[in-house]
This record gives sequence, structure tokens and C-alpha cells, in this order.
Amino acid sequence: MTGGWRIFGMLAPLLLVLAGLFGLGLGLTLMRSLRYLPAIGLTEPDLAAYRAVLTAPRFLASVVWSLWIAGASSGISALLSLGTALLLRHGFAGRGLLLALIELGLAVPHVVGALGILYLFSQSGSFARLAFGAGLIDQPAAFPALTHDPYAIGIILLYVWKEMPFMTLVLLARLKRIGPGHEAVARSLGATPWQAFAQVLLPMLLPSLLVATALVFAFAFGAYEVPLLLGPHAPEAVSVVAWKHHTDVDLSARPEAMAMAVLVFVIAGAVLALGARLVWRLGGFSR
Amino acid sequence: MPLLILGIWSVAHGWRFPALVPGEVSFAAWSYVLSSASGVGASLGLTLSIAVATAVIATVISYPAGRALGRHRFPGRFAVLVLVLAPAVLPALAVALGLQGLFLRLGLTGTVSGVVLAHLIPALPYPTLVMTAAFAAFEPEFEHQARSLGARPLQVLAHVTLPAVAPALRVGAALAFLVSWSQYLLTLGIGAGKVQTLPLVLFTFATSGRNDLTGAVSLVHLLPALLVVGFTLALRMFHRVGGGRWSVPGVGG
Amino acid sequence: MLRVLIALCLLTVPARADGVAALYEGTHSWAEIEAEARGGTVNWFMWGGSDSINRYVSDHLATILKRDHEITLNRIGVTDAAEVVNLVLSEKEAGITSGGAVDLVWINGENFRSMRQADLALCGYTGLLPNAALVDWENPSISNDFGVPVDGCEVPWNTVQFAFAYDKAVLSEPPRSMAELLDWIKANPGRFTYPAPPDFTGSAFVRHVFIYAAGGPETLLGPFDQSKFEAVAAKTWAILNDLEPFLWRGGQTYPTGVVQLNELFANGEVAFTFNYDPAQFGLAVDAGIYPSTTRSFGLMDGTLGNTNYTLIPFNATNKAAAMVLQNLLLAPEEQFEKAKPEVWGAAPAIAIDRLSPEFQADFAALAAHPSVIAASALAPHALPELQADWLTAIEAGWREDVGR
Repeated sequence: MTGGWRIFGMLAPLLLVLAGLFGLGLGLTLMRSLRYLPAIGLTEPDLAAYRAVLTAPRFLASVVWSLWIAGASSGISALLSLGTALLLRHGFAGRGLLLALIELGLAVPHVVGALGILYLFSQSGSFARLAFGAGLIDQPAAFPALTHDPYAIGIILLYVWKEMPFMTLVLLARLKRIGPGHEAVARSLGATPWQAFAQVLLPMLLPSLLVATALVFAFAFGAYEVPLLLGPHAPEAVSVVAWKHHTDVDLSARPEAMAMAVLVFVIAGAVLALGARLVWRLGGFSR
Repeated sequence: MPLLILGIWSVAHGWRFPALVPGEVSFAAWSYVLSSASGVGASLGLTLSIAVATAVIATVISYPAGRALGRHRFPGRFAVLVLVLAPAVLPALAVALGLQGLFLRLGLTGTVSGVVLAHLIPALPYPTLVMTAAFAAFEPEFEHQARSLGARPLQVLAHVTLPAVAPALRVGAALAFLVSWSQYLLTLGIGAGKVQTLPLVLFTFATSGRNDLTGAVSLVHLLPALLVVGFTLALRMFHRVGGGRWSVPGVGG
Repeated sequence: MLRVLIALCLLTVPARADGVAALYEGTHSWAEIEAEARGGTVNWFMWGGSDSINRYVSDHLATILKRDHEITLNRIGVTDAAEVVNLVLSEKEAGITSGGAVDLVWINGENFRSMRQADLALCGYTGLLPNAALVDWENPSISNDFGVPVDGCEVPWNTVQFAFAYDKAVLSEPPRSMAELLDWIKANPGRFTYPAPPDFTGSAFVRHVFIYAAGGPETLLGPFDQSKFEAVAAKTWAILNDLEPFLWRGGQTYPTGVVQLNELFANGEVAFTFNYDPAQFGLAVDAGIYPSTTRSFGLMDGTLGNTNYTLIPFNATNKAAAMVLQNLLLAPEEQFEKAKPEVWGAAPAIAIDRLSPEFQADFAALAAHPSVIAASALAPHALPELQADWLTAIEAGWREDVGR
């Protein structure tokens, strides 16, 4: 009854769009990065673009910087969301409202959130003015540099603010499915609350947490608009550097832009693969 | 929430450090933004239609796909799932650059349809995963019973299946809408400057130093997204009976 | 099999009509151009960050075009003109030699040079515009765009001259020369900075220091000279590196663009900002961004002056309509309209002495915005722009030697 062809038919539109557009787009980028494009006469693929990109200090610095942003954002979000999910696990007055607010917060576009952070946390932003009013600082420069700064504090703040609710919801759903049964059993066998958490609950949560963290990491690593709005003049995020090369009038910079994009893709993919591998090792998602 | 600060900026005139509140309140920014000279109104309409189109197409595609993925374990299922998840999490830049060249030759750059097609790439994963989870939780018994009682396939669809997965459909559509609504780089690359969606307009003002205009446009950009999510939330609360548990995409296979 | 495919692909790439810059074919008369343009559309790509300029174009100009020529004007705002260059370049790469997305672009400097280098501009038609007679094409600062000859490929729109702004409520007497400015910065640490090149304005500031280090522009005019460059560059980087610890944030970071610098100035974090177009200071005061006590000044050593233009890409869809628009932009009424401080305050690109006595009187009577220094006050101390190769070398040098 459920023939293989029928399944294929159901999947066909999806595959068409994803494999077609996504795959083709990616394939073309790969080809251009290898400087292989028969339509304009380049018939010999080579790695010149990759060599140029991988030896450029500007690109390497931006890779490190983007890794830092992604790592800090996903790590801090993971810890915070774990704590929040555990807190919100049990019902309390207003829990429904809080959850609704969190979901509503997911709707805020990243750019809007970034602008909010800029207007609040910059050295001449609202918090700086509050500090001035309280007599804590005497000029904007005395307020700590949280935006356009080399530590990407503003950027990390935005990603934590935006992604932490998402991760909390993921963990809450998982917690709901796990149920309180396992911990109750552990406690009845004499385990302390901490032991019940660390040795029973946490291992069951870890796969979801890891997946969510890896997702946030990959997303933050390849981000464009937010680092552009909140970052310093150097270093720049990898996507920003890649796009600048792509729009450079010097056409020979294009293959380099493609190479950068491919490398960004590969690095993000590697992180996700690593996350998936870890989850597998941990036993996957036990029902 | 940043809403507040953006709102205050949108009516501020002459608000410099260290003033805590704006010296003057002025609606000049709003009157400009709402005028036709600014192009914000047209952009709002354009962005809306693109997002709605993306949401509709994505939802329609995700229905059969989610059914196949959720109900049947077939060889290659894992590969398809990875393919589905990939565009949502991997940086769109790599795809956008290559796609631009392809679309140029196909004459799709600078067109709304081209942009919608491009938006489908990051938007499709969400409804698909939501529908997969929904169908995985869906009991086929209801369908079988209905059929055995003599209902025709179309009736089964309309009266049994669809109502059961309707909440998931709504969530999926809302997610696809949001993804399309916030797209920047893809629209910039494929739209080639002709398709001026709100994120692009917002960006131009944000990088021009006019905080009041930026604040106003930000709110214009924010409100519809909030409305869509709010609407979905409200519906969910009313239809709690229908078994619409909020299933989180990507977790729990 | 693959070879056949490749051959087919190559065959389908349309042959270029002309190896050099695309010339407007045929000897159309202006009447023919106007007739062809009637009822059409123009897609004008320009920087969209100023609501005043946007209003002038989308409300005022669009209405006139519609009323007089039945042409619909589409203003398309971009964040940077380089995006438009990229767009036309991509189209050319894809073999789109007609029906392009861009009909007109507001452009100058390095972007113009890029378009010329890649043969992206429509050239040779400017003589057909009736109002082109009002432009003094002999003037080197008009016939050369950052050292690149205009050659009939673009039409001037505004002239600008670099100026500084300060808040007279905070600083009663600003420095009047580059030497005084450098001394002032050292005496007032943390109160000055400049955007990092290759930002357009930051790059201009560095060029001012460069010309100062060379003792004047005379030796720098003309084609790029590596040895001359290195000698002057060494002095320039020494000055700027010396200056670094006295800059805002100790020179640890530079503003990413002139907009950030403007914000620092608006909030009193730094004492000066600067811009190629002093009219921007007036617009900012009116928008409430700068304090009303803002005033502007030039330097005795001189400040850079240049022109900005509009250009029609070689593959534009609506060439005739774009030409009609360009002609309108040069009209005395429009040059006067945008010179009004409440509209924009932009200095005209046409020669005032070629206008009727009534218009000359109108221009003379124009009251400048109190925050904007009059173009006539800056003009005696004008520095010519260096050729584009100098710019690239200076920007690259800054990145390596100063910007870290």
C-alpha cells in the first residue's frame, strides 16, 4: 500500500526545492571557488582561491573571531537555558504567561534586537546615560565599551537574548517528555537531589542540549547582519569579509569570496557533525 | 524588550547624551516613514506578500513531505532529514552566492518570484520538521476507522487528518513566515536591489545615523511578526482540545 | 560530450557590440529622446540614508517628471553605491547587455573608476542634453572624477568641499590649519578620531594628512609615482601613528564609518566631525541630531573638493528616460531648489555665471544654514583630488601601517 514511489512522490516537491536550489546553489559556489566556470572560459579548476584565502591574516582573524562569538553565545545560552528550563519546569502562577512571552520574543527579527542592544548598551546609550545620571561616569568614554568592541560583547548579548528562549523551550519540551519519573525513582533509592540531577536527568537532557547548542553555534558562526551592526572595524565576521570580497569590483576577488563561503559552510557543518556524533555516542534520543 | 527603546527613539528629537528622555517629542520621523517618499509602505506590502507566499508554499510542500517522513521509515530517511535540516542551520551565504549566478542567467534576479524561491530554502526546514513530528504523533487509526465507515479519501482528509494536524500546520506556516520576514542577505543577493524588503530598508536607515527613522522603521518591521506569532498563540489556546501539543522541531526524531 | 556543452555555452554568450565603452548609437536629437522617454519609467539607484534627499527625489522630482514628461521615477535606496556597481557588473558577467535593472546611479570616485574599468557606463551622449551647456566642462574638477577623466560618461549633479564641524558651545575657537589641528588633538586626548579607511570620509581625512605631509598637492598631481608615494607615506604614517594614543579610545579602535563618527560627535564624545558635503551638518541640526550650536569650518591649508555625478549603465532599460532625468537635474530651477537649506543645501554643479540674471540673484540671495559654511568661503582653499591610484595605495598603506 505504501509503495516506495508513493513516498517519493510525497517528498518530491521538497526534494526539488531543497536539493535543486540548495544543492545547485552550493554546487555553483563550489565550482566558482575552484575557478571552474566553462561559461566564461575557465576550464581548469584550481585551488588558487583557497590558497589566497587561507593565508590571508584578515580571513583567519575573522574565523577566530566568529568562532569566539559562536562559542560564547551558544555556551552561555546553553547554561542559562538549562537553569531556566529547570526553574520553569514546575508550574507556578504566571508560567503560561511567561512561556507566551518567550514565544513572542522569538518573533523579534535579529536586526531589530541588535538595534535595541545598540541603543541601550552603547557608550552613549540609555544605560550609559543612567550611569551618568547616577554619577558613576562623567563622559561616554568612561562607560565600558560593549558595542563595536573587539570582544563582541554586544553581539554575544544579542545572541544570548535571542537564542536562550529558543533553547529553553526545546529543553522544556524534552523535560516534559522525560517526566519526573526517573528522578523520583533515583530519589527513592537514596540519591541526593544533586545526584538525581547530575546522574539521572542531565544525561537524558544532554542530547537535546547538545543539538540545540550546535544549532545556535552554527547559526551564530555564519551570521551577517548582527556583526555588521554591532561589530568593530576589525576583526570582522567571516560572512562580512566574504560578502565584501564578493562585492569587490575586482572580479578576481569573487572566487575568493566563494572559497570563504565554502569554508564557512564546511566549518559550520563540521561543528554540527561533531554535535551529531556526540549525541550518537551518548545514546541518541531515548524515548 | 527593545520595543520600548526603539519606540522612544522614533519620536525623539534632539536626544543626545546624557539626556535620559528626549528633549523634544516629534512625529517627523513617523510622518516621513508613513509617507510614500520613504518607500516604507511599499516595502511593507512587498515583504508581507513575499513572506505569505513563502509560508503558503512551504506549508503546502511540507504537508506530504512531513507525512512521508513522519509515518514511514524508508531507506534514506536519515539522509533526507539531514537535507531538510541543513538549510536552516548552515550559513545561507554559500548558497546565496552560487544561486545568484544561476538566477541571473534564468532571469530570476531582481524579481519577486526569484526572492520567494530563495526564501524557501531556509524556510522549508521548519514546517517540514514540525509536520514530521505532528505526523509521527498522529494516530492512523482514526483514518482507518473513518475509511472503514465508508468515508471517501477527501472526506477523511478534510474531517479527520487536517483538523488533527492543523495546529502543526499553523506553527509551521508561522515559522516559515518569520524566516522569510527577517531575511536580509538572501534578498540582497537575489533581489539585486530591486526587491526592497523591510530588512533592507531598515538597514539603510540603521547605517545612516538617523536613530529616529531607524526606530520607526524597526517598529514597522517588528509589528507584523509579533502579530503573526500572537495570532498563532491565541489560536492554540482556543484549540487546546484538538491535541495540538507544541512539538519542537528537530528534537526527538 | 562535455566539450560540446562548453562550446554551446560559449556560443550563447552574446558578442559584444563594441570593445570599448558603450556609445549611444545613432544621432538622436533631443526631441527624439524626449519623445522616446515619454510615458516611461526610470529606476534610479542612489544612497537612501537621508530622508531630506529622499523626499526631494521621491516627492519633488518625481512629481515634475510625471507632470512634464509622464515618466515614473522609481527611487531605489541602497546602502552603498558599490552595491550598484556590483549589480551591473554581475549582469554584464551573466551576459545581460540590455534590459538591465539600473537606469541611473548616483556615483563618483572609486565607484566611477570601477565602472569605467569594467566598461559598464554609457558614454558619449552628454552633449545631447540641453542643460549640459550650463556646465563648465573645462573646469578640471568637473571634467575629472578623482583623476579619472569623465569623458562624457557621467553628468555632474552636486559639487562638494570637505569641511569640519564643531560645537561652538563647547569649543570657542577651532584650529584653522592641519598643524593646529594636530597640536589640538595632542593637547586634548580622547577628543578626536576618524573613520577607518576605506570608509569614504575617513579615507578623505587621511588624504588631507597625506597632502599636508607632502607640503602641498603640487608634487602629487598626475599619475601615481611609487617612490614619491613611499616618501610621503612614511611621513604620513609617522604622523598618524604618533597621533594614535591621543585619539578616542586611545586609538585602540576606529569608528567603522562616518556615521559612527557623527554619533560620537552628536553625543559630545569627540569634538569634531567632518564630511565632504557640509550641507549634511545643516540637515543633521534640523533633524535634531546635532546641537543647534554646531558650526563648520575649513582649513587654511585647503580641503578637498570634488563633484558627484549621475551615470547611465551601458545596459540600462530606459536610457532615454534616464537622460531626461539627468537633464532635469541640471536645470537651473532644480539646482536652485536643492541648494535651499531647508530642502538639502547642496552646492550646484552648473556654472552660475551662465544663468540668467534672475537666477544669479536668487543664488546670491540664498541664506546658508548657520551651521553650514558657505561654499564660497571654502572655495579659495580648495585642494584637487588625487588620481584614484593614489587613493588605493593610501588606503592599503593605512590598513597595514596604522590600522593594524
